[in-house]
Order: sequence, then structure tokens, then C-alpha cells
Amino acid sequence: MGAEVKTMIRKGSSLRERLYLIEIFVGMATTFRHFLRNLLDNSKLYVRHYPEVEPEIPVRWRGRHRLTSHDDGTVKCVACFMCQTNCPANCIMIEAEERLDGKAEKMPKRFTIDLLECIYCGYCVEACPVDAIRMDSGIYSVTDNNRESFVLGIQELLETPGAFSEEDYKKGGA
Amino acid sequence: MSDMVKLFVNGVEVEVEAGKNLIDAVGAVGIEIPHLCYHPALGADGNCRMCLVGIEDGRPPLVPACKTPAQEGMKVLLDAEHIKKIQRDVMELELINHPIDCPVCDQAGECSLQDYYMDYDQRESRMTVAQVNKNKKMDFGCGVVHDQERCVLCGRCVRFCREITKTGELGIINRTDESRVNIFPGRPLENRYAVNVVDLCPVGAMTSSDFRFQQRVWFLKKSPGICHGCSKGCNITIDHNRQKYEDDIIYRLRPRLNQQVNGYFMCDEGRLSYKQQNENRVTQVLIDKSEASINDAIQSCLAKIENSSSPLILVSPNCSLEQLVAIKALADQIDAPISGYSDGYIKAGDGDDYLIQDDKSANRAGLNLLEIDTTKAKFEERLATADLLINFDNDLSLSYSDTELKEMLSDTVIIALSSQKNYLTDLANILIPLAAYSEYAGSLINCDNILQTFDKALSKNAPLDDAAIVAAKLGGPMKNATDIFCELQKLIPALSNTELQNIPAEGLNLNNSEASNVTA
Amino acid sequence: MSLLDYVMIAIRVAFSAFVPLCFIAVCVWMERRGAGFFQDRAGPNRANIYGFRAAGLVQNLADAAKLIFKEDMVSGHIKHKFYFILAPIIVFFTSLVSFAVVPFADTLVLGGKSYIMQGIPIDIGILWFFAFAGFAVYGIILAGWSSTNKYGILGGLRSAAQVISYEIPMALAIISLLVVYGTVDLNEMAQFQGGLLFGFIPMWGVILQPVGVIIFIIAAFAETNRTPFDLAEGESEIVAGFHVEYSAMKFAVFFMGEYVAMFASSAIIITLYFGGYQIPWFSTDVLINYAKPVALLLMILLPIIMYYFTGWIKRSNVSHYPRENDPRVFEANVYIKCFWALVVVVEVLLLTLLFCESGGSMAHIFVTLLQVCTFLTKVTMMIFVYIWVRWTLPRFRYDLLQKLGWQTLLPLALLNILVTSALVVVFS
Repeated sequence: MGAEVKTMIRKGSSLRERLYLIEIFVGMATTFRHFLRNLLDNSKLYVRHYPEVEPEIPVRWRGRHRLTSHDDGTVKCVACFMCQTNCPANCIMIEAEERLDGKAEKMPKRFTIDLLECIYCGYCVEACPVDAIRMDSGIYSVTDNNRESFVLGIQELLETPGAFSEEDYKKGGA
Repeated sequence: MSDMVKLFVNGVEVEVEAGKNLIDAVGAVGIEIPHLCYHPALGADGNCRMCLVGIEDGRPPLVPACKTPAQEGMKVLLDAEHIKKIQRDVMELELINHPIDCPVCDQAGECSLQDYYMDYDQRESRMTVAQVNKNKKMDFGCGVVHDQERCVLCGRCVRFCREITKTGELGIINRTDESRVNIFPGRPLENRYAVNVVDLCPVGAMTSSDFRFQQRVWFLKKSPGICHGCSKGCNITIDHNRQKYEDDIIYRLRPRLNQQVNGYFMCDEGRLSYKQQNENRVTQVLIDKSEASINDAIQSCLAKIENSSSPLILVSPNCSLEQLVAIKALADQIDAPISGYSDGYIKAGDGDDYLIQDDKSANRAGLNLLEIDTTKAKFEERLATADLLINFDNDLSLSYSDTELKEMLSDTVIIALSSQKNYLTDLANILIPLAAYSEYAGSLINCDNILQTFDKALSKNAPLDDAAIVAAKLGGPMKNATDIFCELQKLIPALSNTELQNIPAEGLNLNNSEASNVTA
Repeated sequence: MSLLDYVMIAIRVAFSAFVPLCFIAVCVWMERRGAGFFQDRAGPNRANIYGFRAAGLVQNLADAAKLIFKEDMVSGHIKHKFYFILAPIIVFFTSLVSFAVVPFADTLVLGGKSYIMQGIPIDIGILWFFAFAGFAVYGIILAGWSSTNKYGILGGLRSAAQVISYEIPMALAIISLLVVYGTVDLNEMAQFQGGLLFGFIPMWGVILQPVGVIIFIIAAFAETNRTPFDLAEGESEIVAGFHVEYSAMKFAVFFMGEYVAMFASSAIIITLYFGGYQIPWFSTDVLINYAKPVALLLMILLPIIMYYFTGWIKRSNVSHYPRENDPRVFEANVYIKCFWALVVVVEVLLLTLLFCESGGSMAHIFVTLLQVCTFLTKVTMMIFVYIWVRWTLPRFRYDLLQKLGWQTLLPLALLNILVTSALVVVFS
């Protein structure tokens, strides 16, 4: 009851529309206008001249992953496996070990992300309870010649810098 | 079956077993009453107050379900608002000083506190004062690591040490938020069942140093099994997992309830016996120390058996009944004597009157059932005349020293079929790897003459044959499981009218069977 | 036969064999850049040789190189390998041969002998085209069947059913046209269209047969398996339809066959309805008589057109982002110089014509060349229409496709025959 019913006008029943040909010509006129405009002045194309002109990466863009670290450079990750558990592509592989520096009880011995399997969904970032994994590196182009270099180890992940300031990142709503 | 009584839970009539307390009785029909301190093996303590329920018959408004026996016509109230409130309040009390470090806690995933929070609480903390800091990562000995902050002071571990092992190493000291579970100074846990407190602990306060941080429990596949560590045959849960790109391996063993055999517990030694399944395994077929395919090895074995004038077959007391039947049939086929000599598996005086047995082999009763000779004299006599020894996984280096072995076997061709590397596998002319007990299905007879079956738990990336299959490949007449079970039915009258899958999960006690002709 | 006879045979056969092949590149290029512009994007424009991109034409070379060097595989499950390989050959061959009867200029008269300007001098004309266009579908059905692939066979079946539904209205549209023209020979039809209706309207088929042209064009789209009738491929439903199992050059042959068919059917549409090689109001006789004024007019028009064209090149061929020493400006300058050189050559040729005797063989050759250019321009425009339609209309649903063929086009074509015949009887 009470639900608001909106009646949509069903198009395509008038004679003109049912003749179809006229509407086809109208449609073709539309596309031809675009064609002509672009032919006469190709500076108006809605394209980005990549790779010469690089896209501007917003803060919430999910780029290549990185692991954050404490101020002294040690890894923040506590090897809780939440990201691995949550990962729909099964691309995160972690091995845990005892942490002895008192920052936490546990830390990763091995933290591997296979970028070829990753689908960049960002669930790992969502799942992380200690903000240890982020996708704010701003790296959007992940290319190489061999498979091995797509498998990132803990060291590479730690060394990847973030592309944004802490403030911007927090504001980005991540 | 014991008597049944009818009672009402939240107004719905259920039929439960009489003589049990409400937690067990109602829990058996699938209605959960939350509890932290109660454990069926340790009895009711009534200290956690989580199991408070209402009984609508003029009693005090709330009674602890763990101390209330189920009675006919009882009206149990679980979902009333005041019951829910008491559950929330108890949860809030427990969580005041709980560190909530679930991400690094090994118990997460099988933690009562975590589950109850999700089921009964789900409230934000109202605490504004700082949490009390307590000791973390205390080594209690015997591979038990204690975290006082996570502890909910249910006292299960304390009661276990007092009531089950009767050693009493643990106690709760001090009062209020100074209460801690602790050991006496300089006297760590020292009993052979200590790691059971890790299973008993409803939260992550007790963790096993062996399993610590190895895996998150939700990744583990939990398969039932039988421990082969001694002749008790404790029921276990094999927790195993295949990590990405790796092999299926066991991460821990936990006791599984079987009132007829081991109750709720198992010994620490058995708990660590999974390592034999993961480490030091024979994986490669070797012919004269060089790698070969299994088919070549079988061909070569067949040739050696053909050429041998007096072969001898040695079996392990760990072999399942099925394997023993298959191997014995092979021995009859090639007309070889069969021996089960394995005195080295017996550690006299090691056993106790609870679970641990002297005999560290799983199926000696099975050897006796099949009338396989196990005497030293006969084995040595036969070995002296034998020119070929076919050894099915019997670790002779337990029974003899290396030099003795070398001398005894100097002029004998050795075909070793083994799951574990040992001195004999080094000597072997042909070495064929066998599956370990977690990788095949079978049945065992334990020291109390109880027949138990177990299923295959692990699927290795490169599966190995078990001894029965290899025996068949070597020309044994028992080609498949049906043949073997028919043979077993002839041997064990108790099985004659039953199918393999109908053997009760608790095991079949052969002593009770009047037709039994087994001499234990 | 004189040497000239042999040369003329060689020229006309070469023309009808190689021009469609050359137009494959033009079609693909137009399709891609056209699609880009229709959709407000650029299309392929990066492939280059030493920085020269030829407006994206170099991309075709890259694609050709890729297709040639790709692994040409025949899957193990394909049992009838001969038919599997035969199928693309049929498609390509029939498309190519169906163009052979289309006249690309009026009969050339040299030294009192006339030379017909079509690949094969055969007077069955439009029937030849029908025969081969209908035969092309066998290649598609064969490909679908011999692929041993459910998508392939679905594509083949769709194509077969589609051809049956659309060949009939197509043929019926032609019948009414034949009633008007009174001939099946395509060259005679083109000559007929050189005349004027009421003295000022060119007697093109499109004027005489306005309904027929619509039916014929729709059916021609269906015959060439182009959108909105490309259900045989239907990538959103059946992956790639009949050529799902084809790779490398075998796929390329299908691909080229499609474009050759598009070219051939454009040529047919032009010849039947848009005056063929005829320039409106300038029939062959008029052109030969007034060759010099026409040449003079061209000499004046050509630099003016080229001036605007080079201006467009200069505007378009630059990088639209900050770039130091933009190499595209240099590229554009080279193109502009080439085009002006071309203009100079043409101007010189036209100038020599002005000094030749009027009505002579030079005038005849000039007119023939002019008609060839006209013909190719018209065909290019028709190909553009094909592309334009493809990037405007979505694909038909299969039942609607059949409904359109049987319930709309067929009755319409029959009615058209009736009306046309009645009018022809009344007016003659």
C-alpha cells in the first residue's frame, strides 16, 4: 500500500516510431553530428592522451598495495590473516611468527601478494584491523615481462611509499 | 539408552535425556545455553554465571543451568529479557579487562567469548577507565603459554590439573581484578596431559607453543582420526590444511570425544605425533639408491621375489587390520613366513593407568588376531635362513642397534616399504614409500580390544599407496577393500553381520561380543 | 587482337581484382577511425613508421603483420579439416568475384574500338552478383558446421536462415528495378541512369524506385552480415559465431572477405540506384564533348579544395597536449608537401589535355578516369554509410530480424513490383 507508483510513458507506439526508418535517420543524424564535430576538430575528443598525459589519481583510487610501518620503520602488520581470509582472489599469502620487539605479539614472516591474481577490490584494506595494508601507492600501471616480478614480498610492499599525505588519505574516507 | 524426560524450553516441548544437567541435556537437542566454566569432564563449578536460566516453578528467579538437573515437566526460560540482560552483564564483566586482541589470538574462530559476544552481547564497551595490564606470554611449561589478560578465570585449567591429572600445578591467586591463573613459583606444569588445558580453555588464555601462530583455525580442515601413538587408540581430530601452492599437511591434533576409549583428552606425546606425518617422510622410490618409478620398483620387487628361495615378510604393528590381511594373503601366496616382531615398540614402564600405554604401536591386538608371530626367537631364526626381507613399515631400528641390524641383514636383500626414514630404509635395496595413517582408511584394535575405524584425512599432492595396495601390486590376492573386508568378517565374528560403514563411531568392543575368539 | 586489346583486358581484370583488395585497407581504416569519431574517441592513431602514422593507416600494416605471423592452428577436435580450410576461401573468393561484373566506367572507345570497363565481360550482370552473393553464405555455414563447435554451428544456422529471409525481398526489389530499366546488364543500367527525368532530375534508381532502394539496402546489409544484421557473429551471444574456431590468416581471410563483400555490395548499390559511374547532369557524351571546360574547371577547383584540405591537416595533425618540438607538426608538413606535389602533377596532366585535340582519345581516357574516380568516390561514400549504420544501430533480436524480413520487406517488395509494373505499363 502507500507505495508511490510512477507510471512510465511507454515509448515507441506512435506511427512515426513504428515506421522505424525515420527514427533510424534521426539516430544516424545524431551520430553523424558527433562524427562531423570530431572530424573537423579532433581536439574536442573525449580522450586522455595516455601515456604522455598521465591521469590524476584520486585518494580513494585502489592502486598497488603497500604495507605501512611504524615510525621506526618496522612493519605494522600483526599477521592476523584477516586480509588473506577476506581476499576473494586468494592472492595474499602470509606466514606468521612471534614478534619480539614488544609492539605486538605477532608479525608476518612472509607476506606475499600475487598481483597477477589480485583483482584490486580493496577488501584487504577494509579488513585490516591495524591499517597495515593500504592501496594508496598511486601505482596504477603494473606491467612487467615475467610472472615472478608480480609476486611482491614483504620488503617490496614495505618499501612502496604512499602517494598521498596522511591527512588527505584520512579525508578520502578510507 | 537412558530414560528420557520431557521438559519445556521457551515454551516448546523437548525430549531430553534424564540425569544430566540442563546444559548437556538441552544442548544434546541443539539448544545452546552459553557457558564458560562448565565442562562435562570437569563438572559444574558455577563460577562464570553465564549459564543462568529461569525456571518457572517458584524457584529463585535465576538458577545456573550447569548445576540444575533436567527434570520432567520443567519450564526452562532462555529468551526472556532478564535472562538476556544477565548474559549481557556477564559478558560485559568478562570483557572489562579483556584485551580484545582477536587478530593476534590463536583462539579466534573457536573462542567461546568471541562467539558469545556475537550471539548474546554485541554492545559497545562502556568502560572509561584504563584496562588493568596483566602478564602476557607466560611460559607455564609443557608447551603451554598463558596470557593472563585474555583469561576469564573460569578455572577449567585449574580443575583439570586437580581432578584429572591430580597434579594441581595451577591455581587462581588473589582476588577481584588482581585474580590470576598462575603456577607456583618455580614449579611449572609437569604432567603428560598438560596441553589439554589449551583445548579446555574457552578463550585464548592458554595457547600451545607448538601451534602458536602457525595457522588461523578457520583455515583448518577438521577430519576425524585415530592416534597411532600408542595402543590406546585415542580418538583425535586431525586439523590439516593445504596452503596455496603447498602440500596438505597436519597442523595439530586435538582429542575427540569417545567415552569408550579416551574420553575428552589425549596425552601430549600423542598430540605431537603429527610431526612424524609431516617430517622425515620417504617420498621417493629408490632402487639401489637411485631414483626410479613405482612401476619399475614393483617389477624389480616381483623379480626379486621370483628369484628368492626363502623370502621373509615383516609387518609393522601399526598396520591397520586391512593391511595386515592383505599382507598375510601375500605371504601365503608367495609361501613366505610372516613375522610381526616389534619388541622395540614397547617401552616398558612408560604407561600409566590413564591413557598412556607401554606399547607404542597401534594394532598389536590385530597382529594377534591374525595369528602373526611376534616372537624374537622365531623372527631371528627365520631371518638367518632368509635371503629376502620384505619389510612393511616395521622400524627395526627400534628393536636393534644399527650395528646389529647391519650384521643381521648383511647377506639379505631388503625390500623396504616405509612411510618414515629410518636406518633400514638406508640399507634397503628397493625402497617404496608408503602412505602414513592420516592418508588412508582402515581399522585398528586397541589395547582394550575395541575395534575402531578411521577414514582418510589428508589428500596429498602426490598421493602414496598404502601397504594393502602395495601388497596387492606385489602379487597379493587381496585386490580391493571388499575382498579384505570379507576376510575380516571371517576373522572377527562380531563383524560378520555388519557392513563397514555400520561400525559404531564409538568403536566396537570385541570383549562384549560373545562369539569373540580373540585372545587379548 | 592488337596489343591495346591485351593491355585493356589486363587493366580491367586487374582493376576489378585489386581495387577491392586495396579497399580492404581503406574500409578497415574508415571503420576504425570512423567508429572512433562516432564515439567521440580517436581510434587507432599510434602505429607509425619513423613517426609517419598516415592518419592511422599504418595500424593496418601492424595488424596484417600480426595476423600473418600468428600461429595458424586447427584444433584437434575438428574432423573435417578440408572443409574447415575451404570455408574462408569460399567466403573470400565469392565476394571478390561478385564484383567482377560491376562496370566502373562507361565503355571506352579508342581508335574506333570499344572496351568494356568491367572485370568479366558477361551480360548476365545482376544475376551473376546474386549467384555469388548467395553462394558466400555456404562458406559461413560450412565454417560453422566444420568447426564442431556449438557457437559455430549456431552462427552458421543463423546465417543460413537470414540469407533465405533476405534474398527474397532483395530479388523482388531487383525485379521492379528490372521492369524500370528493362535490362539485367549492369553497364546498360548505369548508362540508363545517365539520362534526365523531366529534363532536370538525374534518372537514378533512387529516384525511380524509392521503396526498392530501401528494401535493397536493408537486404544488402543482411547479405553482408553487417550490423544490425550481424547475428551470425553475435559476439554477445555466441562468442564469435561461425569463425569462433578460426585463427591467424584463416580468420583474416574471413575478415577480408567481409570487407570485400561490403565493397562489392556497395558497388552494386551504387550501380543499381545511385547512377553507377555517372556524374549527375554530365552523361558520358556531354563529358567527351566538353572535356576541355571540365578539365579547366577541375584545374581551378583542385587547388581550392587542396587549400582547405591542407588547412584541416595542419589543424588536426598536432599533439593536443603540451609537447616540445611536436613531431606531428613536421609530419603534417610532409603530408601537405606530398599533397601539393600531387596537385601539381594532376594540374600538369590536365594542362596537357587542354592542348590535345578535342573529342580525341585523350578526351575519352580523361572521361573514363573521371568516371572511375566518381565511381570510387560513390562507393567510398556507400561504405561510409555501412560504417555509419554499424556504429549507430544496435543488433536486431533474431525473431525481429525474421519478422522484418518476412512480414515487412517481402509484402512491401511485392507491392512495389505491382505499383511499378502498373506505372510502367501506364507511361509507356
